[in-house]
Amino acid sequence: MKQIIKIVSSPKIFVYTIIWLMVLVVLGTLAQRDIGLYASQQKYFSANITWLGGIIPVPGGRITMIIMLVNLTFMVLFKQNLWKIKKIGVLIMHIGALLLLIGGGLTAIFSSEGNMVIEEGAQSNRVDDYHDMELTIINTSNEILDKYTVFDQPILGKGNILSHENLNFNIEIISYLRNCEPLKRTAPAGFHYKGMLKNFRLSTLRPEKENNRNRPGITYRITNSGSSSDGIYGLFLGQSVPQTAVINNQNYEFIIRRKRTYLPFAIELLDFKKVMHTGTGIAKSYSSEVNLIENGIPRRVLIEMNEPLRHKGYTFFQSSFIEGPEGEATVLAAVKNYGRSFPYISSIIMSIGLLLHLLKSIPKLLQKNPRVAE
Amino acid sequence: MIKNQITFILIVIALLSCDSGNHTRTYHLPKAKNKSFIQPAVENKKESSGFTWEKPNLWIPTEGTSMRLASFEVPYSTGSGDLSIMELGGDGGGLEANVNRWRGQIGLDPLTKIEIENEAENGVSELGTYQLFRLINLEKKESAFLTVIVPLRSSTLFIKLNASADGILELEEDFKIFCLSIKLENSNQ
Repeated sequence: MKQIIKIVSSPKIFVYTIIWLMVLVVLGTLAQRDIGLYASQQKYFSANITWLGGIIPVPGGRITMIIMLVNLTFMVLFKQNLWKIKKIGVLIMHIGALLLLIGGGLTAIFSSEGNMVIEEGAQSNRVDDYHDMELTIINTSNEILDKYTVFDQPILGKGNILSHENLNFNIEIISYLRNCEPLKRTAPAGFHYKGMLKNFRLSTLRPEKENNRNRPGITYRITNSGSSSDGIYGLFLGQSVPQTAVINNQNYEFIIRRKRTYLPFAIELLDFKKVMHTGTGIAKSYSSEVNLIENGIPRRVLIEMNEPLRHKGYTFFQSSFIEGPEGEATVLAAVKNYGRSFPYISSIIMSIGLLLHLLKSIPKLLQKNPRVAE
Repeated sequence: MIKNQITFILIVIALLSCDSGNHTRTYHLPKAKNKSFIQPAVENKKESSGFTWEKPNLWIPTEGTSMRLASFEVPYSTGSGDLSIMELGGDGGGLEANVNRWRGQIGLDPLTKIEIENEAENGVSELGTYQLFRLINLEKKESAFLTVIVPLRSSTLFIKLNASADGILELEEDFKIFCLSIKLENSNQ
């Protein structure tokens, strides 16, 4: 056991990982120019394994930081020489660094970014994610309730087979396209193509640097339905007509859309106000007067630019608006980040640690340089 | 010692590389009575286009694609252009994405949202406010676009004319008059 603790708490591991993180930061920063901020962040910092040049697997940012976290934790807990009064500054700095990593972990696991669109007079409790997609299958057979089965983007990879007890068929993912364009077929499609793919094909486009400019698409095969619905189907984001299929007397709709999160509270838009720059169509400022409704109790709040609403870990910023012939709608950016305050707290703690360490070293410095003492 | 440290790192990598997260969810929702832009992707296509318009006599309706509400062959002095009307759920993929996609199709570099907003010619039609974009690449004059984007309550209407750069300039006035004539079918006006 002692041997394991000695290995895991070795400062050398921290040195290796911090050097490797520096390399990843350089690679990720350079990659941003070609693949954009979001893709670069995903490839170098959020991934467990990063494939250099698409062929060489190396530890990604996430795994590197986990190793660093484990190493630092063991160092703080088991390095006896750290728990001495003369090392108090160093110990506090270690704890600050640990908190920084824990905050990063919380952000990586639990944070989400999306938007909420609310028409004037209406309310919503739904956030659409900016980046993540979902394949939604809706059983619309019931007259009152629709039954939703949702598969998140991480399992929409090529070759994955999706099944669920709610569905009496399987779905095999043939391809997931980050950016695509539906193009009219110039030749008749094979008999196994169904729905939209009978007349269109999804043409792969180079992913845009700005992730929200991409239009993801998916092709999938329905199997084991025991009906003529078996075949290859396609979907793309923003498709105006959902793909439908009748399988064993059940009506299904298939949609690819931005990942939806339903909140335990709702926001009702009472009034949306905007001020435009004179003589232009460019907004100068806009604000939303809303009711935050929780457990049936409304609370009136004004959301303005730089004056967000914070509630239950979510922050709602005034992001944009939509003008229609029958009224206006507000667009709120909804951000959830439980690790939001960790960088501030850990920076303060590390500064205190550094300060203590320096203060403790002053007498030594003065002794070494007697002229300063004079 | 180094061998042991490497072993530790590899074990952590192996243990944490496995994604055990549950990525499947189920829930029930009451049927949406009024599918508005809060649920853009499930907007049902109407049997008819749902719109009326007045076109110049010279424009010839063409079959187009099933995604288009209507298509016209639009003749001008040195050729003919292709005009399409499409209605997409929600914001139809967004202003920035669509304009930059069209710009890419004629070899122009993408613009930021602010630059796009500055490029737009804003106006008001029977359907509400609209934005008109004139997309011409002077180095590739054979293909250019004149597009109008009209955000509606639950969808976005895209009216796009594809012709040569000269054709676009020649047809712009007719195109604008046509766009301004588009109304909802049940509109009283």
